[in-house]
Amino acid sequence: MQWPLTYHEKKRVVQLAIVLALAGWIAADALLGGAAYWQRVWLRLPLLLTGSGSGWPLTGGFALNIFLGLGSMALAAIMGTLLAFGMMAKSRLVRLPCFFVMNFLRNSPWLVLLFAMLYIIPFNVRLFGVSIAVPAFVKAVIGLSLPTAANFAEIIRGAVQSIHSGQWEAARALGYMPMAIYSRIILPQALRRMIPGWMNLYALLMIATSLATVTGIQDVLTTLNTLLSMENERVIVYFYITTLFLFFAYCYPIALLARRMEQSVKGDTL
Amino acid sequence: MNRTNALIELDAVTKSFASFEVLKGISLSVKDGEAVCIIGPSGSGKSTILRCINGLIPIDGGRIRVGEIEVHKLRSEKEMRPLRHRVAMVFQQYNLFPHRTALQNIMMAPVQVLGHDRREVEERAHRLLAKVRLSNKADAYPGQLSGGQQQRVAIARALAMEPQVILFDEVTAALDPETVKEVLTAIRELVDEGLTCILVTHEMKFAREVAERVCFTDHGRIVESGPPAQIFDAPQDPRTREFLGQVL
Repeated sequence: MQWPLTYHEKKRVVQLAIVLALAGWIAADALLGGAAYWQRVWLRLPLLLTGSGSGWPLTGGFALNIFLGLGSMALAAIMGTLLAFGMMAKSRLVRLPCFFVMNFLRNSPWLVLLFAMLYIIPFNVRLFGVSIAVPAFVKAVIGLSLPTAANFAEIIRGAVQSIHSGQWEAARALGYMPMAIYSRIILPQALRRMIPGWMNLYALLMIATSLATVTGIQDVLTTLNTLLSMENERVIVYFYITTLFLFFAYCYPIALLARRMEQSVKGDTL
Repeated sequence: MNRTNALIELDAVTKSFASFEVLKGISLSVKDGEAVCIIGPSGSGKSTILRCINGLIPIDGGRIRVGEIEVHKLRSEKEMRPLRHRVAMVFQQYNLFPHRTALQNIMMAPVQVLGHDRREVEERAHRLLAKVRLSNKADAYPGQLSGGQQQRVAIARALAMEPQVILFDEVTAALDPETVKEVLTAIRELVDEGLTCILVTHEMKFAREVAERVCFTDHGRIVESGPPAQIFDAPQDPRTREFLGQVL
């Protein structure tokens, strides 16, 4: 390494210092008696991850958070795509309500939306005379997918509108119809700009799945709270740090990959 | 001029963007096989005239006719299709599709819009690439080509539609001086082959060489038009004289 350091080298040094400080602190703490507490965390880790003490079957815990995130993202992708096309519609009658819905959902606290869905969606839905129970998990999926769908739609709209207007003009001059312009020229280009945004959104959603503990599902936080009632007070902080690290370990690589893709997408305009 | 055999005819065309009147009554007729250059200061409505002819911009008043198509009566993109087939356009910013190779850029519209046979179109595309001297760049993406090369691909793309008329909108304005020449050479060949061309340009020397008629526009009107020799050597209108005095 040469002096003076470049921005990226400085960043690396700071990152390395933080990691070393953390490792040093944990090691020192472990030597001063923390090791016993870590032992208890290690013992309970399968429960935190899967919801069952032996690690199988997957009945809850962090695995449930992952399912919740994937389910919400899938639902949000469908709703968000419809919403995005609604916002780009020619007719004001379609466009304005879609914008209203998007802005409403995007500017509501996630936790409030989750609570709202919890009480708005009934426990039983009667469909063609058959009563279907709505489990809390489904409510959580719907509650989390609403704000995600709004953000998803905004990512689509932003990417489509970032395509240079000359592309539209050229396509029209070649005789393409509006629908064909979207499917053959605009969307293939815009898709590349959407993917990093979607990945960031997924990482955010994954973090937000911890809110779903309010619906009473056996996710990692609910499991943790049940578990802590049986542990002594001193060990609680070790459990929370572990849970924190679970989310970090899952989301950080996604965010990192998204940033790398953003860099590679840059500069292919015009 | 004899108006009955004109291929393109504009009659008192007006167009406003919000409160700004860009075209204040443009009348122009272009014969089949004629090359017409439109010159004039920035913001005088040159590019707007071209965009009105192929229906990219709807007009407020007047009439536009291309062949038997009455452009001012077309309402939807679907109705414009025969017009777009007949009138191709080349843009200042090339506007190639960056996610497709040069060859695909040329082939897309004839196959997807006109429904021509793919193999026949591919042959045509290779022939056109050879014509603009880019045979070796068929598989290059627009991002890998220089400005001049991109513009020549754009010309080939326009030609692949087998149009009767090509509109050139300041096609050399975004190029560096060295590459301007290769694009102008390609255009000159088209004019020599008898393709009807309307060119908006700032290349006065080029306009003088290729055009059969030059129109000078200012503030949304055609101030003066005539053979290049007359416009460049003996301009009648004081505004034409002032403009040419600045650029020549």
